[in-house]
Amino acid sequence: MTALKNKRQKREEYRAAIQQDDGATELPRKKFYRQRAHANPFSDHQLIYPPSPDHMDWSSLYPDYVVPEEEDASPAEGQDASAKEDEASLADKPPRRLTQDVEVADIGCGFGGLLIALAPVMPQTLILGLEIRVSVTQYVQDRIKVLRQQNAASPLPQKPYSNIACLRANTMKFLPNFFRKAQLSKIFICFPDPHFKVRKHKQRIVSATLNSEYAYVLRPGGVVYTITDVPDLHEWMVGHFAKHLSFERLTTEEEDADPCVAIMRTETEEGKKVERHSGAKFVACFRRKEELPYEGEVGDVKMLE
Amino acid sequence: MALPYSVLKVCGDIVFAARGGDIYSFTTGLEYISAWKYPVKQANAPSGLSSEPAASPAPECPPAKRRRVEPEDGSAPAAQAAEPETTEAKNKKPQQQQQQQQKRKTGHQKHTVELPIIQGLYTTTDGRHVVAITGSDKTIWVFEHDGAGNLKQLSQRMMPKRPCSLAITPDNKTILSADKFGDVFALPLIYSEQQPKETDASSAASTPVSTPSTPQSFKPQANELTIHTKRNLKALANQKLGLKHAGSAKTVEPVFEHTLLLGHVSMLTAIAVATKGDSRYYIITADRDEHIRVSRGMPQAHMIEGFCLGHDEFVSRLCIPDTRPEVLISGGGDDDLFVWDWAAGKPLAKTNLLGHVQKLLPAINKIAVIRILACRPRQEDGNGPAWVFAVCERIPALFAYELLQDGTLQHRQTIPTPGNPLDVEFLESSSQLLLAMDPDAAAREEGNVTSSSLRVLSYEPATASWQLADNESGRVKGLPVADDGDAAVLSAEDVQRALYTTESLRKTNSEPAE
Repeated sequence: MTALKNKRQKREEYRAAIQQDDGATELPRKKFYRQRAHANPFSDHQLIYPPSPDHMDWSSLYPDYVVPEEEDASPAEGQDASAKEDEASLADKPPRRLTQDVEVADIGCGFGGLLIALAPVMPQTLILGLEIRVSVTQYVQDRIKVLRQQNAASPLPQKPYSNIACLRANTMKFLPNFFRKAQLSKIFICFPDPHFKVRKHKQRIVSATLNSEYAYVLRPGGVVYTITDVPDLHEWMVGHFAKHLSFERLTTEEEDADPCVAIMRTETEEGKKVERHSGAKFVACFRRKEELPYEGEVGDVKMLE
Repeated sequence: MALPYSVLKVCGDIVFAARGGDIYSFTTGLEYISAWKYPVKQANAPSGLSSEPAASPAPECPPAKRRRVEPEDGSAPAAQAAEPETTEAKNKKPQQQQQQQQKRKTGHQKHTVELPIIQGLYTTTDGRHVVAITGSDKTIWVFEHDGAGNLKQLSQRMMPKRPCSLAITPDNKTILSADKFGDVFALPLIYSEQQPKETDASSAASTPVSTPSTPQSFKPQANELTIHTKRNLKALANQKLGLKHAGSAKTVEPVFEHTLLLGHVSMLTAIAVATKGDSRYYIITADRDEHIRVSRGMPQAHMIEGFCLGHDEFVSRLCIPDTRPEVLISGGGDDDLFVWDWAAGKPLAKTNLLGHVQKLLPAINKIAVIRILACRPRQEDGNGPAWVFAVCERIPALFAYELLQDGTLQHRQTIPTPGNPLDVEFLESSSQLLLAMDPDAAAREEGNVTSSSLRVLSYEPATASWQLADNESGRVKGLPVADDGDAAVLSAEDVQRALYTTESLRKTNSEPAE
């Protein structure tokens, strides 16, 4: 019991130190952030999420991309005039806007390996990692903080790692609270919880019904990247995306030509772990098709291509 | 204790009113026409469903879900109900409860079986069919209606999960069932006998139904490469040893045609069908996690058109006025009613409701909307105002608003009622409202629960206001004595639990330690 308590104390002290130290250059250590690998996506965690994407305040996550206050004022007023008066306090103080929207989401980003590898590859793009586990999210946030501090002296206009951030979220429930329709160009789903039991298949991050939400937040031409080391889960994901009328699978050539695929294979923590155990990795990518015309004449059950 | 009428549905000149598991039909003057009774043996043998000749699609129905019997603080059952069964087995329950559970398993099963209560009544637009859901046994009932108030049961179908709300597509051919697990299934209104049972597998395969056929020979999905810890490897080895036993695990899949259309990872609370133009329709679904989703109609129900986001608490009711099909009104655990331009996903207005409740009952600090009704009484000078009525759980009043052209709701009247309203419907021919309520304590003590459960409100065009008619107006005429349910013996708790279920959707904000 005392050992346990010590461990917790050490963790808290360690994390508090990182939080406070604005000059820290040493990366946080995972051992102070470990957490059980599974979370129940159905339970009501004490999550913080915006009521809608318009209410989301991104400014603390991407401080380098916030629209300067003076520029922000005029368009905001225009918005107020056009929008119906909404007496809620949120309308009084709209969140600070960013110069650009988040375009890439890593769903279940874990310890953030992919995020950090993608940051220099897509320096002009805002990338968001979403993770449901509190401690793990904290680790990624601390890691990004330190990386930003390490590169604070960079001469580049947009400092390295200023384009990545991590949030705690249950994406299975709240993805549309963060992203508008067709906002994203890429979604990564890397080594998701396989949920082996049939009873738990509904908890899988890829399912017929959830794919509709991915299709909603992805723009036409956007891509969902999936990778797993579990053959059965791979088949499951391929099967469900293939059945979904809004997605088509990328060919092997297209996959090989995409630099993100290589990064996903090698840079994720799980990917490295699988390599250590010389396991297999299965990749599948799916492109969001163009929006189909409405086809719902009452009673018409013509099959779509 | 007796049950009051709890669900109403007006179909032309016929009023259907459900009390417990039974559906009564009346004329608009509340003269009794006929009744459909929930199969009696259900009362003590919940799994006896299958012997019913009418439909009995599933040969092996799981017994009705048993529930806690001990009185609770009210929030605990909510949390549990919200969580799918997967977490139920967790060992977090205190010792005492576990013991009680065991006791229940052995003995008082009969007592813990949930009452068969009709939770929703729906009619096709042509009035020729009536559809009902009973929650405790997850069953959807379809009746043929002869237009004169007589119901003939056509089918009963037990869904894989408990349906919460239904909608019927504009072509009157398909039932859309939104369930507690977050999925929306499409079922043909008419259960066809021709559908041979063999086609089940193929129909399931042709549809994106959740589980793509569990193979007969169980094969562990993990292998030595995908798991690494000692414990997991050992578990895998054990799994392989015990393969022969694993085959016996069976999943109960309904054998009738049902197609998964869409789903939320949250409990669904309401579903509505909205039309745009002549031929397009959209499926609007609301869930416990504040979302209202707009999807296309079949066969493109997998395509999400948009969301109406802005609720801070669960959404429990959706209403699209017949006269304003472009507008959606929603309510739930929030203090306000929301009005949306559903096609654009834009809020049009937000109107405070709690404030009006507090004028009546100052101690109330949260409300749960259980019913929103929109209607437009006929007036000689053409179109009168469009009225919207809201009912909140356990609040003995009706809140009347006027829906203005720009979508805002203007509060017009608060009508106190002698009991908690459970449902309200509009009688178009007489421009009256019919109210079903849980009568106040006085009526309960006198044993007049059933007879004082219905009340009529009439509209006075001169003052543009609604008036509660006298007690006599809501008196049902000609009800057979045997059907006067006041003799029914039910504990007050059971009645309460059966009638008031919405507030329990609220999140309690207590998270187990990470």
